[in-house]
Amino acid sequence: MNLEAVIFYLFALIIVASGGLVVLSKNIMHAAFALMFTLFGLAGFYAMLLSDFLAVSQIMIYVGGILVLIIFGVMLTSKITGVELKTGPIGKVNYLFGAAISVIIACGLSLLFTNSKWIEKPVDKIPDSSINAIGYSLLTEYILVFEVAAVLLLIALIGAALIAHKDQIIDSDASSNEISTNNDIKIKE
Amino acid sequence: MENHQFLFNFISEYTGDILAGVLIAIIPLALLLVYALVAIYGELKIASFIQLKLGPMRTGKWGLLQPVAEVFKLLQKEDITPDGADKPLFNLAPFIIFLGCYAALSVLPLSSHFAPSGLNIGLFFIIAISSLAVLGIVMGGWASNNKYSLIGAMRSVSQIISYEIPAAMCILGVASMAHSLDMNVISAQQQGGFWNWYVLGGPAGISKIWLIPFTVVMFIVYFVTSLAETNRTPFDVPEGESELVAGYHTEYSGMKFAFFYLAEYGNMFVVSAIMTVIFFGGWSSPFGDFLNSPIWQIFWFIAKSMFFVGLQIWLRWTLPRTRVDQLMYLCWKILLPLSMVCFLAMALGGMLY
Amino acid sequence: MINYLKNIIKGFSTILVGMKVTFINLFRPNVTVQYPNVHPLVRAGSDKMPDNARNKLNVIIPKCTGCKSCEKACPVNCITIETTKVASIDTEKPLMEDGKKRVFWLSQFDIDFAKCCFCGLCTIACPTSAIVHSTDFEYSCYDRNELLVHFSPFNKEQVAEKKRILAEEVKQKAEKALADKQAAEKAAQEQNITDSKIKSSDDQTSANQNIQNNSN
Repeated sequence: MNLEAVIFYLFALIIVASGGLVVLSKNIMHAAFALMFTLFGLAGFYAMLLSDFLAVSQIMIYVGGILVLIIFGVMLTSKITGVELKTGPIGKVNYLFGAAISVIIACGLSLLFTNSKWIEKPVDKIPDSSINAIGYSLLTEYILVFEVAAVLLLIALIGAALIAHKDQIIDSDASSNEISTNNDIKIKE
Repeated sequence: MENHQFLFNFISEYTGDILAGVLIAIIPLALLLVYALVAIYGELKIASFIQLKLGPMRTGKWGLLQPVAEVFKLLQKEDITPDGADKPLFNLAPFIIFLGCYAALSVLPLSSHFAPSGLNIGLFFIIAISSLAVLGIVMGGWASNNKYSLIGAMRSVSQIISYEIPAAMCILGVASMAHSLDMNVISAQQQGGFWNWYVLGGPAGISKIWLIPFTVVMFIVYFVTSLAETNRTPFDVPEGESELVAGYHTEYSGMKFAFFYLAEYGNMFVVSAIMTVIFFGGWSSPFGDFLNSPIWQIFWFIAKSMFFVGLQIWLRWTLPRTRVDQLMYLCWKILLPLSMVCFLAMALGGMLY
Repeated sequence: MINYLKNIIKGFSTILVGMKVTFINLFRPNVTVQYPNVHPLVRAGSDKMPDNARNKLNVIIPKCTGCKSCEKACPVNCITIETTKVASIDTEKPLMEDGKKRVFWLSQFDIDFAKCCFCGLCTIACPTSAIVHSTDFEYSCYDRNELLVHFSPFNKEQVAEKKRILAEEVKQKAEKALADKQAAEKAAQEQNITDSKIKSSDDQTSANQNIQNNSN
């Protein structure tokens, strides 16, 4: 067993163990934090596949962005409202459904895996960095997709700002008591 | 650039690859520990001198052993885990925070011939890995089962996430001028005297002069955001002791608190080192080829970084703490527009030169 | 927009001003001393305590009149004063510092520094500035009794001697007074007798007046 295999199994162990924790843990915070290790292990896999940019993007987007968002949501809902968020028993019917879906997905994946023709191309030269290639293809071949994604993100950003802003307006409209009208007058003055 | 692996190759000839990797990984750790002692001593002394006091004087000559004494004090303290705390997360949090700081050190090029890991997307990696600190802070603050810890953690996270945007803008600006994310390459581009540093427009000859105001403003923006990202005064609202006891590390004691402490100082060094690399030439000597051998480059890198650490300490003892809304105002309404304008200018510069 | 930019520039420049202040302070000499190693009183460039330093009290006995104002002013009753009048027959004729004649010996002037709260009210109350703060601020000692400081210049024997002299004088005075009184009574009796002889026929009012006169 060479060094790469050792590292691979180490990462695999981390991913499987923490993934199991995500599924089985009753405490949602524990599950959310266990997700962090899963995502990190995946980033390690990407790095082992020589796609360094993808590995760092994985950390940047999933660990630094999405996971923080999830944790923030869970934290605010469970700690501040005082409601303990826990996953409870779901009932035997749901277990059956879950098992069936898992079996179907597992069968499908393994069928795909065995039947698909994998392109095995010998790498003549290990690229110094994948980032240049990604950059070129993003701005040449996939420019439309890239721009559409950018526009989508911009729309999401504007929408978020609008939602946050609208809340404020609705609040001041809904509470149409004397105090708020006084405030309005003051603002107008 | 292949020569950043010089030390690795040199060691692995004698020990084999695995041991060489471990030894190389230990170097940043040793650097971090020694640096932390120096920085703690510097912080104590500068704080005292600014207040016309003497500072620590009893432990050793001029109190030189004071940081060592503090570390030993922290090690001896009882390691308390509060009753209502979430034990696994509570115990994990300091190490996660420290991990973020240590991992960031792994890509810093100390010299043209030595970077612990010559990652060619080093800058991107540093931005990504610094988000680990956010998770550690949330973890510690939430697991402490303490209102103040939780509020401190939430403030800290919102602050760090907000300030990451202008910081990323600054880094992107320099990256667009350097056409690279490799810190070693960026440092190498700035060789040949301080005139070629990116804070003065980069290595582009006399025609770059219109760019200088933008790069200087960009540097200032990055410096401010670096203060906020390390939770240093004047942006230490997450641990403002007049409001939140000590913020997210209120419940920590002993060894785990020492890790928080170490991570704070380590993060100061990391942001200073990034500043050094992207604006102040990294390991390159400020006087062209004068004193620019690989050993001297280590000296220049650490000297420049320590200068910015000193600047952070100096600012800490100058300014009072900002209010939370002022903090956000500064980030979203001043730093972000400024950094965007400067980024556009620098991107133009990157296209022209 | 212009206000916005002005605001930014102002904020930045004020930070620079503050940094300049702290930078100048960074290189100014320290105001603190390494206390047990370097005593503040022997520090170079300064040989006195701050003006309002409230240290251990000191009583300048030649100035003290024994008025007990400090004892009354003390909020914690840590001052105990006992005075003994200077006997006129005393061979020692003490003078105050300002040259006036001393009225009271300070046979006891104790300050209990275990009780003292160093408020300094006694120094304000003292009319002659006899009780003042000294420059001594180190009160640590191994026995609590050492904190009870006797400021009286006399030891027990001397106090006893002074008291004896005073008692002697009082006795002499008393004897003298007794003699005087007896003589006066005698004289008054004689006078009464003569008066009653002379004015025995007078009316009641005049008799009353006479009695008043006598008693006076």
